[in-house]
Amino acid sequence: MARVPEIVLAEDLNVTFRAADPELSHLRDLIFRRYPHEEWATFMRCGWRVIPDGLVLTLAALDPPGLGDMEEKVGNVLIREPYSRRIAVSAQAHTLAVGLVHSHPQGFQPCPSAIDDDMDTYYGERYLRGFAPGRPYVSLILAHKRGDLVVSGRVWWRGRWHVIKRAIFERLPNRTWVNGRRPPDPAPEARTARLSSAFSEEAAVRMRLATVAVVGAGGTGSAAIEVLARAGVGRLVVLDPDNLEDSNLERVHGSVPQHAASQTPKVVVARDHVRAIAPGCEFIGVKGSLPQSEAIDAVLTADVLLGCTDSQHGRLAISDLAARYLLPAIDAGVLLEGADGVVTAQVAQFRRFLAMDPCPRCRQMITQWRLNQELMSPDERQRRRADADAARLRGEDPSVYWRDEPQLDTVGYLTTAAGALAAGYVIGWITGRFDAPFSTLEASLLVPSFASVREESADAECHCRMARGWADQGARFAAITAPSHWPEVQRVS
Amino acid sequence: MSVERISAELALLREGGVDAEYYPKQSAVLYRSVPTSGAALSLPLASHVAVPVPSGYPAAAIDLGGLPVGSPLIGRAKGAANGPVITIAGQPYQFISYHPYQNEGGVWDPSKHGFHTYYTWILAWLGCLK
Repeated sequence: MARVPEIVLAEDLNVTFRAADPELSHLRDLIFRRYPHEEWATFMRCGWRVIPDGLVLTLAALDPPGLGDMEEKVGNVLIREPYSRRIAVSAQAHTLAVGLVHSHPQGFQPCPSAIDDDMDTYYGERYLRGFAPGRPYVSLILAHKRGDLVVSGRVWWRGRWHVIKRAIFERLPNRTWVNGRRPPDPAPEARTARLSSAFSEEAAVRMRLATVAVVGAGGTGSAAIEVLARAGVGRLVVLDPDNLEDSNLERVHGSVPQHAASQTPKVVVARDHVRAIAPGCEFIGVKGSLPQSEAIDAVLTADVLLGCTDSQHGRLAISDLAARYLLPAIDAGVLLEGADGVVTAQVAQFRRFLAMDPCPRCRQMITQWRLNQELMSPDERQRRRADADAARLRGEDPSVYWRDEPQLDTVGYLTTAAGALAAGYVIGWITGRFDAPFSTLEASLLVPSFASVREESADAECHCRMARGWADQGARFAAITAPSHWPEVQRVS
Repeated sequence: MSVERISAELALLREGGVDAEYYPKQSAVLYRSVPTSGAALSLPLASHVAVPVPSGYPAAAIDLGGLPVGSPLIGRAKGAANGPVITIAGQPYQFISYHPYQNEGGVWDPSKHGFHTYYTWILAWLGCLK
């Protein structure tokens, strides 16, 4: 008979817990150190962000037990007072949430025991309240059960206990148990039978339980969206600020001339295309851009983000989300160049942004004047162009004020290939069947070796190293903020 | 707008005795009583300077400098007075075409630079009046 939990968990908030390497690997090494038969635990610090329908928690750091901090002679977790006191006192010196993670023995359910209830009530409702007021207290249980990494969790927040509905671990599939229950597997779909036979039914289930955020619904993004919808992803969050134009019709999957004639938002084109392909896929459309606050809220519950923006500010924002909010991302872009009537370059680039990966500045991807101009308001652009014209008349360098950029040309076969391959890497991460084994992959149609891989390193003093997992609490280390002149975000569902 | 970041940068300046304040409504920082090289030119020895927070900050580089409208320093400090005017605490400021990170040799690095280091550029600007 199932035990009735002493702690009553509210299920009205969507609480998500995210973790990434190197803290995630360290965490697993720590709490499974007495596996398979005995438990172990560690305190942790978490960043957090309140979103309209929930809370996102991010593993920022571990505060592991030292010698004598926990009782080694018993099989379950027994924390000694000096360890608790040290964590509480240190919480006064930082702004992050405090939490406790412990393991359950192999094969056991990841459900809290009566001892766990006592422990969480003690820390969450009483002990830490005076030391970390107004912050969530997070409690997680991890176990290995029938080959799965299984997780359950709860958080004390604003005077109530809330169940953690999803634990998302960077490149590490898991099963999140909710309120002591293993969620039922979604029903198999005939459409994904070949994917199931190639990667297993378990992989197909992971796809159906997953959320993918796609930033940019143009040529590259629309191809990725189509691949993901056909592959059975359960939920898609798509961001794009633009309406469809005639010149997009060569590339954007799902677009028809009527969309261009009526200036239909690209997210609406994507929504209708997804509904036609996969009616069961939940679609969240956002007409807006990262890092607008509502756009961040929308993507933070995704397992993976796929960047298809071809903008410098978009890449900075994606990298920032990977580092501060532990949202793993693949960024895809294409480049087409020509001279004297001959195409000289056709390149698809894929960049991985994990929490530990270097940011676009560390990778020398940013051209500052281009980024400045991308972020300017229309008024400022107009003023700068006028200043440049005046400088030209005075015989001075106009580029101090404004530099005209040639239109970047691209073609549908290149954007479709890039989007589809990027979606493939996303599927690899979600299913756990393969990884993106590079920091940067460049595929060129015009060189015999086709593809090259680059590993890039981060500048140790760059802000991208400073606030991994700090979420909103690391706002002062943000690489970019949303310009106030951008149009307001609109939700499309 | 990165309020947390700008606040931290200005706190660093205040530790060094520099009076600077962030005005979110105007999206600008006001450096108060910045010394000038005006003594030999019979010009003011100090001036308030307004600097706009660039769109997307800190992704975009800090740029421009604003002097009080009607200030005798306008035309004596480098750059044309062709920018917009903003009003802070009742005082209008004229933005001057001063671009340290575009034609003064500065390379913007948001991990190192900010409104705390931009003060040095403002000092240099008002230290070279003509």
